[in-house]
Amino acid sequence: MMVGALRVAIAEDSAILRDGLVQLLVDRGFAITGAVGDPGALRSSVAQNPPDVAAIDIRMPPTFTDEGLRLALELRARYEGLGILLFSQYIETRYAADLLADDAAGIGYLLKDRVADVGDFVEALERVAIGGTALDPEVVTQLLGATRRTDSLSVLTAREREVLSLMAEGRSNAAIAHALVISEGAVEKHVANIFAKLDLPVSEKDHRRVLAVLRFLDS
Amino acid sequence: MVEQTEDTGVHVRIRGKELSLAISEEHAVALKSLAQRIGREPFTKRPWAELAFFLVSGGLAGLGLAFVGFTMVTGVVLAITFFGLAVLALSIRSARGIGGWQRGLARALLSETVEDPEPFVGRHGFLGWLQSSLRDRVGWRAVAYLAVKVPWTVLGVFVAVSLWWDAFACLTGPIFGRGGGGLPVWGLVRGFFPYSSFWFQQEDFIHGVGVFILGAIFFFAAPWVTRGFVTVDRLLIRTLLCPDPMAARVRTLEQARTQTVDASAATLRRIERDLHDGTQAQLVALAMRLGMAKEKLEDADHLDLERVRELVDEAHRGAKEAIAELRDIARGIHPPALDIGLEGALATLAARSAVPTEVSVDLRTRPTPAIEAIAYFCVAELLANVAQHAHASRASISCAQQGTWLRLVVRDDGRGGAQLTTLGSTSSGLSGLTERVRAVDGRLNLVSPPGGPTVVTVDLPLSP
Repeated sequence: MMVGALRVAIAEDSAILRDGLVQLLVDRGFAITGAVGDPGALRSSVAQNPPDVAAIDIRMPPTFTDEGLRLALELRARYEGLGILLFSQYIETRYAADLLADDAAGIGYLLKDRVADVGDFVEALERVAIGGTALDPEVVTQLLGATRRTDSLSVLTAREREVLSLMAEGRSNAAIAHALVISEGAVEKHVANIFAKLDLPVSEKDHRRVLAVLRFLDS
Repeated sequence: MVEQTEDTGVHVRIRGKELSLAISEEHAVALKSLAQRIGREPFTKRPWAELAFFLVSGGLAGLGLAFVGFTMVTGVVLAITFFGLAVLALSIRSARGIGGWQRGLARALLSETVEDPEPFVGRHGFLGWLQSSLRDRVGWRAVAYLAVKVPWTVLGVFVAVSLWWDAFACLTGPIFGRGGGGLPVWGLVRGFFPYSSFWFQQEDFIHGVGVFILGAIFFFAAPWVTRGFVTVDRLLIRTLLCPDPMAARVRTLEQARTQTVDASAATLRRIERDLHDGTQAQLVALAMRLGMAKEKLEDADHLDLERVRELVDEAHRGAKEAIAELRDIARGIHPPALDIGLEGALATLAARSAVPTEVSVDLRTRPTPAIEAIAYFCVAELLANVAQHAHASRASISCAQQGTWLRLVVRDDGRGGAQLTTLGSTSSGLSGLTERVRAVDGRLNLVSPPGGPTVVTVDLPLSP
C-alpha cells in the first residue's frame, strides 16, 4: 500500500486523543493536513488543504451529540472521493445506517478503542482512504443481532458466518484470509457459498459487497 | 399659637401663658411629615382607586352573592334530583369566576398581586365535571369570600362611603346654601350630640364656615377610613381568593420534584460526559501508546528503545491521570468521606478549602444519607464560592441540630455582595443547590451585604 502518500485530517475535541492520533499517524508515515477540535475548524481545514481521508469524532462541540456525523455527511456531499472515518466512544447502529444510506465506498465507522490495535486501525484508515469500507465489528455484531433474517443465516456454517462478519466490516478477501489464517482461495469459496445461500448479487468490489450484506441484514 | 424656637422644644402660648412642650426635634419632624401626609392624601391617586375598588367590587360582589346564593339555594332544594346537583355545581363554578373578577379588580385598582389559583380541571365526562365542580376548593373559598365581603361592604357603605358623601355635602353646603342636614354620618353624630343640629339650622356666615371646616375634616379623614375597609378586603382576598394552600404546596413539591429529576438527569449526563470525554479518552490514548510501543518492540530489526521508553513513559503518566480523574468523578457521585459521617466529611472539606476554615458540628441524631449528601454538597459548593469570589481570609462552618432540623451556616469575612443568581457558575452551582434543598422541603438563605460578611444558612429536615 501507498503508505506515506496518504493525507489525513483529524477532528477530535479531546486534546489527549488528538495528540496521540497525530503522533501515531506521523509515526506511521501519514501526512497530517490538520488536527482540530471542532467541526468549523475541520471544515476550513479541509477546504484549504484537502486530505485523502478525514478522521472525525462523532461527539464534538458545541452540543456534544452528533456534530461529527452531520459534518461527515456534509463533507461527503461536497467533496467527492473524500474518505470519512468516523470514530466514537460507542456505536449507534442508526448512525451507521445514516452513513451508509446510499454508498459504502470510502466510509469507516469505528469505536475509538480500535486505535489501541495500531495495525488494524491504520489498515482501516488506509482502506477508507482508497475508497473501501471499514465498519467496526461492533456495528456488524449489532446488525447481526438485530436482523430478522435469522432463518436465512442459520443455513450458513460457522466459518461462513465468520467470513460474513469480516466481509461486512469491509475487509478484502486477502484480509479475511489473514484474519482467519486460511488461504485466499478458501475465502473465495466461502464467499461464493454465502452469496449463493443468501441469494445475493455477486459483486467484485469490496465496498459493494459490504452494502449488499448490510442491506440483506437490514431488510 | 405654635412657634418653633431655637432649642428643640416647641412653645405654645395660650392666653398669654407659655407652655413648654418637650417635643424633641425628631418628633416634631415626624409630626410635620404626618400632617403633610394627611394633607396630601386626598389629592393622590390611591384613595380614589381604593374608593373605586370598594364601590365597583362591592357592587359586583353583591350581584355575585345574589346569583350564587340563589343558585345555591335552588340547587340544595333540588338536590334530591340530578338537576339540583348540576345547579349547585354551576353555582360554585360561577363563584370561582366572580372570585377571578374580584382578583382582577384588586390587581388593577389596588395593585394587589394575588396569584391566580390553579385552573379548574374537570374530570372526564359530565359526572366527572360535576364531581370536580362540587369539590372545587377554589370555588367554595370564593363563595366564602362573597359571603363575608358583602356584609362588610354594606357596613363600609354606611361608614366610609357616607363619610365621603358628608365631606362633599359639607364642603359644598355653605357655598350652594344647603346645610348639612340629612347627612348619613351626621345623623349618627347628631344622635350623640343633640345640640349639634343647631349648627345646620343657622344659615349665617360663621356657621357656614363651621360646616365647611367640618367638611374639610371629613374630607381628610375619609381616605383613611376607606383604606381601613379596603385593607380588610385585601386580607380577605389574600386568604380566600389566593391559590389553595394545599394545592400550592402540592405544586411547589411537584416543581421541586421535576427540578430534582432534571437535576439528576443533568448530573448523570455530566458524569457520562466526564467518563467518556475524560477518562475513556485518557484510557484510549493510553492503550494507543501501549499499542504503538508493542509494535515497535515486535519490529526486532529496527528496535528503537528510546522511542519505546518514551511511549511507555507517556502511557504510565496517562494511566495515573486516568486514575486521578476517576477518583474525582467518583467523589462527585458519592463523597467517600461521608461514610464516616457528616462531621468527618465536613472536616475533610474544611481542610481541603483554600481559605482557612473552622468547623463546629453538634448533632445528636444522624441525618439520613440523602440529607447528609445534600449538606455535604452545599458546604462543598459554598466553600468553593468563598475561595473563588469572596476574597475572604477566614471562613467557618457550623452544623447544629435544632429540633428535627439541621441548620448549616457557612460564613466568610470576604467582600460580600453575593447574590443567589450570580453565585455558582453552572447548574451544579448554588442555584442547583437551592433546588436540591427545596426538594427536601429545606430552605437556603443568603445574607451578603456589600463589604461582607457573607452568611449562608441552610435548613434541612433531619429526615425528609
